[in-house]
Amino acid sequence: MESFIQEMKRYLNFDESDARLLMTLGPRMEKYLPELSERFYSQIPHHPTAFRVFTGGEAQIARLKQTLQQWARGLFSGLYGEAYADDRYQIGYRHVRLGLEQKYVISAMGIVRSFLSECLLLEFPASDERLKYSSSLSKMLDLDLNLMCESYMHATLQNLRALNAQLEYANQELAQASHSKDEFLAQTSHELRTPLNSILGFTKLILDGLCKSPEEEKELLRDVYASAQHLLGIVNDILDLGRIEAGKMRVHIEDLRPREVLDSTMPLVTVQAKEKRLEIRDETIRMSLPVVRADEVRMRQVLLNLLSNAVKFTPKGRVTLRADLASHPGFLRIEVEDTGIGIPPDQREAVFLKFVQVDGTQTRRHGGSGLGLPIALKLVELMGGAIGIEDGAGGQGTRVWFTLPLALTTLAESRDPSGHTASRQ
Amino acid sequence: MSHTPRVLIVEDHALVAKFYSMALERAGGFTCVVTEDMHEILRHVEAGEVDLAILDVSLSGTEWEGRPIDGVQLARLLKQRSPRPLPILLATAHAMAGDRERLLAASGADDYLEKPVYDAQLLVEKIRRLIEMQPRA
Repeated sequence: MESFIQEMKRYLNFDESDARLLMTLGPRMEKYLPELSERFYSQIPHHPTAFRVFTGGEAQIARLKQTLQQWARGLFSGLYGEAYADDRYQIGYRHVRLGLEQKYVISAMGIVRSFLSECLLLEFPASDERLKYSSSLSKMLDLDLNLMCESYMHATLQNLRALNAQLEYANQELAQASHSKDEFLAQTSHELRTPLNSILGFTKLILDGLCKSPEEEKELLRDVYASAQHLLGIVNDILDLGRIEAGKMRVHIEDLRPREVLDSTMPLVTVQAKEKRLEIRDETIRMSLPVVRADEVRMRQVLLNLLSNAVKFTPKGRVTLRADLASHPGFLRIEVEDTGIGIPPDQREAVFLKFVQVDGTQTRRHGGSGLGLPIALKLVELMGGAIGIEDGAGGQGTRVWFTLPLALTTLAESRDPSGHTASRQ
Repeated sequence: MSHTPRVLIVEDHALVAKFYSMALERAGGFTCVVTEDMHEILRHVEAGEVDLAILDVSLSGTEWEGRPIDGVQLARLLKQRSPRPLPILLATAHAMAGDRERLLAASGADDYLEKPVYDAQLLVEKIRRLIEMQPRA
């Protein structure tokens, strides 16, 4: 704006004698102003752009007539300072924003010009005096039109710059999204092919009669079954993530006893843990945990994901489950700690991104869809909690925690000095 | 072929490795060595006991000189270490456009297996052809 005003001053080198002349003209022109505004706005309906812009009906036209008369008075006042330039700029800028085309303003200015010439003809029948006035008036109208056109250009340029910036941003977003989609497709295809290899391979061996005994066929069918289960897990993860990203994941929040969810989820990983000779511990000290607000299926899904990750990434040692009131009031905190390979602090955010495994190598060396933690993050957020990763005990391994909001009944009873935790009903 | 072909299988998914070895033994009568252990891999290859190697591109359990090694690097290493020409089949579940050319060029492998690989007979034929193409020692 400042630079614009500086530039406008260039146009304000309006001769002082001209200004004085116009000021003496002012009182004599006053009586013509109502007709000027009538004529001016009688043209509006014939101009397509104007017709589109001036949609306010009679009331708007009446207001505009007033404004036009004031402007014409200003023309004869001789005060062509910065405020005048600023005013013209504001009007021009508003016209651009309204979508009023510049050619309309120019033709409207033509109407003003010819009408004022008529007025001069009536006021000054002697041609030499009239010429004096008409020359000054013409200079003034040129100046005014210049200001308007400048402001049009300036405003249009500003609009284009803003539009360009928006387009550039949208373009980057699209490129990013397209790249992510390609990456997702490549990774998904990769993840699906491994279990498919076992399913198709073993069934074909059986069908080709390459098994030695019915027992061997049965053994291979068990492998097929396990691979198909694995495949189903991956497909479900992909569907979950698709639903989450489309904003269509619904959670059914209810009052829930977390103890029941913990107790029913732990056994799901004990077989794998036993195979790796890992110890699984539940160090939740409280006998009864406070009731939380959560979706039971989704809470179990998150917990199972954390537990199976812990088992998967722990070659030896133990996996520990803990649950207690969070330091943040009104939340329960559940954590799973392992003595596994750990996650470097600078990569802890990355594991919540799709298809990232952090194990010190660039390639993903462990099975799974690579979608577990990104899904867990979204589910916990949908249930109103938070999720995070820190060092395991003694800086070894990993501790992943999540929080869930406590139920209102729990909150009420936690103020109860007897210390009894809530139960349903 | 003068002797029963011996195939080395390096694959980190246990069930996939099991499929390769069963398919090759039953449909081709081959002998298979399944291992992810680098010392064992080198012992078999350097002794010249292996007629062909199937290497998976992503190997989660194999390390070389303290660092994880993938099938592409392993293929180059085994080509160097083998006392006789060793045909290598590179197996992977990467199946996007350009993967095949890129991985074959980077590894120096002789052919490429795109998962899912499930036809035992076709696999055996492919391996026989690759072994027979090698100059006799």
